[in-house]
Amino acid sequence: MIAKWVKMLLLYVRFMKANLIALLEYRLDMMIMIFSSALIHLLGLVFLWVIYQRVPDINGWGLWEVLVVYAMVYVTEGISSFLFEGSWMMNTLVNKGLLDNFLIRPVSPILQILSSRIGVNGIGNILIGTAILIQAVSHISMHWTIPKIIMAVVLLVSAIIIRSSIKLASNSSVFWTQNPGSSFPFMIHSIGEFAKYPVSIYNTVIQGIVTVVVPFAFVSFYPAAYLFDKEVFRYWGLLTPVVAIYCAIGAVTIFNYGLKRYESAGN
Amino acid sequence: MTPLIIVDDLTKEFLHAVKKPGLTGSVRHLLRPEYEKKTAVDRISFSIDPGESVAYVGPNGAGKSTTIKMLTGILVPTGGKILVNGVIPYKQRIENAKNIGAVFGQRTQLWWDLPVRESLSLLKAIYEIPEREYKRNLELFTDILNLGEFLHLPARKISLGQRMRADLAASLLHNPKVLYLDEPTIGLDVSVKARIRQFIKQVNQESGTTILLTTHDMEDIEDICKRLLIIDQGRVIFDGELQAVKDAFAQERTIHFEVRAPLHLAEDALHNQFPGAALHIQNEGSHCSIQFNRFHLAAGEIIEFMMKRSDVVDIHIDEPSIELVIRQIYESNLNNQRIIV
Ligand SMILES: Nc1ncnc2c1ncn2[C@@H]1O[C@H](COP(=O)(O)OP(=O)(O)OP(=O)(O)O)[C@@H](O)[C@H]1O
Ligand SMILES: [Mg+2]
Repeated sequence: MIAKWVKMLLLYVRFMKANLIALLEYRLDMMIMIFSSALIHLLGLVFLWVIYQRVPDINGWGLWEVLVVYAMVYVTEGISSFLFEGSWMMNTLVNKGLLDNFLIRPVSPILQILSSRIGVNGIGNILIGTAILIQAVSHISMHWTIPKIIMAVVLLVSAIIIRSSIKLASNSSVFWTQNPGSSFPFMIHSIGEFAKYPVSIYNTVIQGIVTVVVPFAFVSFYPAAYLFDKEVFRYWGLLTPVVAIYCAIGAVTIFNYGLKRYESAGN
Repeated sequence: MTPLIIVDDLTKEFLHAVKKPGLTGSVRHLLRPEYEKKTAVDRISFSIDPGESVAYVGPNGAGKSTTIKMLTGILVPTGGKILVNGVIPYKQRIENAKNIGAVFGQRTQLWWDLPVRESLSLLKAIYEIPEREYKRNLELFTDILNLGEFLHLPARKISLGQRMRADLAASLLHNPKVLYLDEPTIGLDVSVKARIRQFIKQVNQESGTTILLTTHDMEDIEDICKRLLIIDQGRVIFDGELQAVKDAFAQERTIHFEVRAPLHLAEDALHNQFPGAALHIQNEGSHCSIQFNRFHLAAGEIIEFMMKRSDVVDIHIDEPSIELVIRQIYESNLNNQRIIV
């Protein structure tokens, strides 16, 4: 059992290395990708800064706390896209029948899909997100205990799993839509924008959506609420690992269910 | 011997979207999509023993690729059963994948941007091929398929013939029990074709790898396969030894003679002696050919008959090509019934 997972991990690393080798052939593209995504996010920061020039706090959240939420979105998105960008390939893989190749190899097709691309633009997000995170945390007077640090790591890993699962699940819609230009996964992805700010500022419908339907709030807001001991929401934060497991199982189930509908492509 | 591949009542239906032309058609389809059912494979049954080499042929759209995709576990059948080496391909995909190799002529399984050598080494990791076995196979394949000249190039930079050879090597690195080949010689020049055929035959004979081959090239079939499975419109219309088909359908023989002095031979004279034979005289009598059924007449008798009447310079005997035979079968298959020989 453990041997099997180790083998899968090693294969993952090899596939990613292969992607990197391929990518290095287009070095300029790679640089542009890293910097352009980082730039977009700097704009968001300016926006936040402008708001906090006018109001001292939003729903009891100060600038640095909101920045933690904000940075969590970037770090998790960065890691998730660096490691699991392959989900976005599903549209092409399915509509062009390229999934055929993955299905005749003795390795889980999910592993092969996730590792079919490396998201170098994630590097920009990881760097900027981490920088903001460090700055923000150092400005918040907080008592860091060992359990709290462990919990922070668990929350971060859970957040990455949630994000990646949502990506896989939403991209699995291609098995049903059979539409080469389906925008459904992008729509789901953009719901994640709500998670950049404390969800307490939204009305209940949006709160419900980002908590239950597409639980992006567990990527940033609830974990942060837990770490900063914010009113009711901190208990929600404790649910994050459970939500992560739920999302992962859900995504795999949706994928496998969809895979049965895969029709390859006539030549 | 228990069969390696068992296919029983296998069926695959596709839903094709029915769209009326134009924008209104598209909009209407969006609101109320309509589909029509297309049965690509229609209750097919056959079984293949270990070590067999089977040609799976049929006209365009007959359902050959669809069958292979179900056998490899890519597609889930609509109905029926498949068992490959005791495994249900679409349910136990990973288990099945270990036993099979597949080459789809229309598409590569190599990594587009990676040097071919890297691709092969990735496959080594995927199939967990032991170092020694990998080395042995790679050396052997490099030798027979002449891979050496392009192993260092990425797949996108090699020619079609090189790509097909590399794909063939890639599909056999892990010594699979079954090799599925879907049009492996499509678009290749004669010498690459010959090399590939030779290689496949060798794999079949020396390693005992079971071969299921789809092709529109009749020479592939004659070179590689002993058994012929013909399908049309999703139904098996013939299943038997290649030789048996030839015996049943290729009964016509034609002997061509070249003679020194112009030949004066009346058709009647021939008919008197050999009823049913047909005579063609060309080139003002310097060439002639006689067509007959080999089960009614012996070639020797006809040659003797001609030798007595003229000074024969050259002789050769034609049998109908397998291509002609299969065309006959396709064309005679109007009511989609199974042909029995
Ligand atoms: N992915 C698909 N989606 C919908 N219909 C398909 C698909 N693949 C094949 N078909 C249909 O199924 C039928 C059989 O196709 P298939 O590709 O199996 O034929 P084939 O025997 O391989 O033909 P060819 O010799 O042209 O390769 C065709 O009518 C085709 O339109
Ligand atoms: Mg085909």
